[in-house]
Amino acid sequence: MADKNYYTIDPEGKLTCLKCRCKLQKDKAKFLYLDNGFPVELPVCPRCGFVYVPEELALGKVLAVEKALEDK
Amino acid sequence: MKIEERASTHVYRQRQMLSKEDLEARESLCVHEQPAYCNAACPLKLDVKAMTAAIAAGDFDRALALYEKITPFPQLLSAGCEAPCEQSCKLCSLGEGISIRALESAALTWGKKSRGMSFLRKKPAAVGIFGGDLMTLFLAGELVKKRYPVHFYCAENDPRALVEHCVPGFSPEIVQSTAKILAAMDIQFHWNTDPAAAFRQAEQPLRAASYAVAASVFPGLEPDEALMVSRPQKLITGRTQGILGAAYGAKKAALSIDRMAQKLDPGSTRGEEGAVETKLYTSLDGVRPSSRIPVADRDSAIAEARRCIQCRCDECIKGCAYLQHYQKFPRILTREIYNNVSIIMGDHMMNKPINACALCGQCSVLCPNGYDMGEICRIARENMVFTGKMPLAPHEFALMDMLFSNEEAFLCRPQPGFDQCRYVFFPGCQATAIAPATVRSAYLDLCARLPGGVALMLGCCGAICHWAGRYELTGQTRRFLQACLADLGNPAIIAGCPTCKKELAEFTGLEVHGFWQLLEQIGLPDKACPVPRPVALHDACGARGDSGTQKSIRRIAAALGCQVADTPYSGDEAPCCGYGGLTQYTNREVARKMTEKCLERSDLPYLSYCMACRDRFAREGRESFHLLELVYGTAADHCPDISVKRYNRLGLKQQLLKELWNEEVISVDLGFTIDYTPEAEALMDDRMILKSDVIQVFQHLRETGEAICDSETGLYITRAREGNVTFWVKYRETDTGYLVVSAYSHRMKVVNRQ
Repeated sequence: MADKNYYTIDPEGKLTCLKCRCKLQKDKAKFLYLDNGFPVELPVCPRCGFVYVPEELALGKVLAVEKALEDK
Repeated sequence: MKIEERASTHVYRQRQMLSKEDLEARESLCVHEQPAYCNAACPLKLDVKAMTAAIAAGDFDRALALYEKITPFPQLLSAGCEAPCEQSCKLCSLGEGISIRALESAALTWGKKSRGMSFLRKKPAAVGIFGGDLMTLFLAGELVKKRYPVHFYCAENDPRALVEHCVPGFSPEIVQSTAKILAAMDIQFHWNTDPAAAFRQAEQPLRAASYAVAASVFPGLEPDEALMVSRPQKLITGRTQGILGAAYGAKKAALSIDRMAQKLDPGSTRGEEGAVETKLYTSLDGVRPSSRIPVADRDSAIAEARRCIQCRCDECIKGCAYLQHYQKFPRILTREIYNNVSIIMGDHMMNKPINACALCGQCSVLCPNGYDMGEICRIARENMVFTGKMPLAPHEFALMDMLFSNEEAFLCRPQPGFDQCRYVFFPGCQATAIAPATVRSAYLDLCARLPGGVALMLGCCGAICHWAGRYELTGQTRRFLQACLADLGNPAIIAGCPTCKKELAEFTGLEVHGFWQLLEQIGLPDKACPVPRPVALHDACGARGDSGTQKSIRRIAAALGCQVADTPYSGDEAPCCGYGGLTQYTNREVARKMTEKCLERSDLPYLSYCMACRDRFAREGRESFHLLELVYGTAADHCPDISVKRYNRLGLKQQLLKELWNEEVISVDLGFTIDYTPEAEALMDDRMILKSDVIQVFQHLRETGEAICDSETGLYITRAREGNVTFWVKYRETDTGYLVVSAYSHRMKVVNRQ
């Protein structure tokens, strides 16, 4: 699959990982669903790798792609 | 029991959901597209229904255009047509049918002729017509429309004389207008000619493909009347009767000429010709008999056209919110579903409609031919599950709920003091979820008053997985319930829900009674709570075809003093509340429309005997009771959310275990508290997130410490993956635990990427 970023969310330094006590940074992540993968950039903890999926993204684009894939 | 998500969107497995013959047999039951009675009776195929509708809308131009489509000489046809359409008008069975001829005449009088142009290229082969009579006159017109060069040989000396000869006795106005049209046509007339002599000489100069011959000129010819062709000579001729017969004969003859011009057999592949029999069904319910309105001007023509009821069959659509939502008739919907299921790759646009049907069977009762759209959708769902094309997302919550009912909240016990019982009470998953106190009262009452012992089985009958098309899970569930029933000694079942009664009767092979039927035998309990006021009785879709249940419910309602008001679509015709077929989970919009459809029948409080109906009506703001609530004087919970519904099922099990079987259920202390803001509770109910899901998220948090803090809102955010879903919770910490502010979920898995 081509390494294309479909979606980018910049944490702008407002998100902190409670476990590692460090700021989340924009980093590479991937959504997987029904044997399909979508590279994205999301707020990620640079130490433990916690990937944050914001509410607007989960209920917006993610939901729309899920529904589209479900009817494939 | 396990429910698995489909593995991939790249699945190539395929199976036909129905054989082609079965599909066609089912489709043929839908008569919506059959022609209206008037249209079917017209051999010229005038769209009478559309013409009448156009006049009713005041559009005389369109009405005229429709009429001119069928004949080159509209005035002549209108004046002399025998009008079989008028006799077949559906209104004749009530009063007087529509004056179709008068409306045709109105279209001719007040309609503006369109200056339509033919884009057909002129045909190379000319046609000679020898001798004028009514049929050849119409034929000349038909051939001009088809752009054949026409040579018309006749003894008369001008168009007017020719028309007068063809239609003796018609008014001068009709003759004049017809002659005018004829004169304007692209016809080469050979006036004052002996047709017979001309025929003998014409063959070479004309190079004609066919010759039309007036029957009076060559009486010896023996034509095939169906084709208007005399076979040995390949000449067009034939005897016709009346104006309509001549016009129809000319149409047949023109088609034969077309075929012969292409060197084809005139007798084959001609399509449907002439009047046809229609299978249309049109209900006259609510139609009042009326008399013809004499057509004297535009307004009276419009008034007469407005008497037309525009015959069509939409019995199924009238009663079904699902069909109304998709605005498709069962035949079309079936074909689209069939095609959808056959698609191997690409978008399956009909998945939503397949999963939105309530499978309630109302259409099969309303349709005059018993078309069962629900059965089609159920077959399609099973087929999609088989081929791996059924997404789990629409049904997962309901299926998990069923597993919860048949695992964690399941209870199967003989009545205390009995090894084997004569009966087992099966209240159903919705009754225990919505009205646990009522179920408890009902069970205690049965134990006290029924001889032979009454066992209890709290669980789901398997309707959920059956509706979802999960045939393997349905088989497992049924085998599980059968085994439990066998452990109880296969007692007679007392079902608390009509759908459970139907499902259990289908696979257990045991005697299955409705709770209401037992109540009729033993009488109402002392604490029955009469409701001496009018109520609208909503029949459950699970009781469709079960007149015994429907009558029994009415008798009990009467015994309770309820004044049951009759509503449209009751009994076997009752619509589904929106819970059936899992519509509530798969398509909330359609489910809501279904509930509204149920409630639009009456303004009264609704009395039902299915707890799902009771709950959905209450959610729409209507005062709503389940019959058992009245019988036992216990109220159901008011619109419990999804978590309360689970808590109620589990709570009832634990309460009864302790109360009747002296089994204490040890509750597990989480070691922390979880509170919810009212907004979070409402949001979670809407987003189908259970409190048990949130507990798991916090347990995961306490194990891993994984969470983030949003400095902008001051909220903490954590998540956990459970099964196929990732749940996210936004919270604040409290002294003893957490306060949930919001929660959301997604099905996609998210991973780090290098």
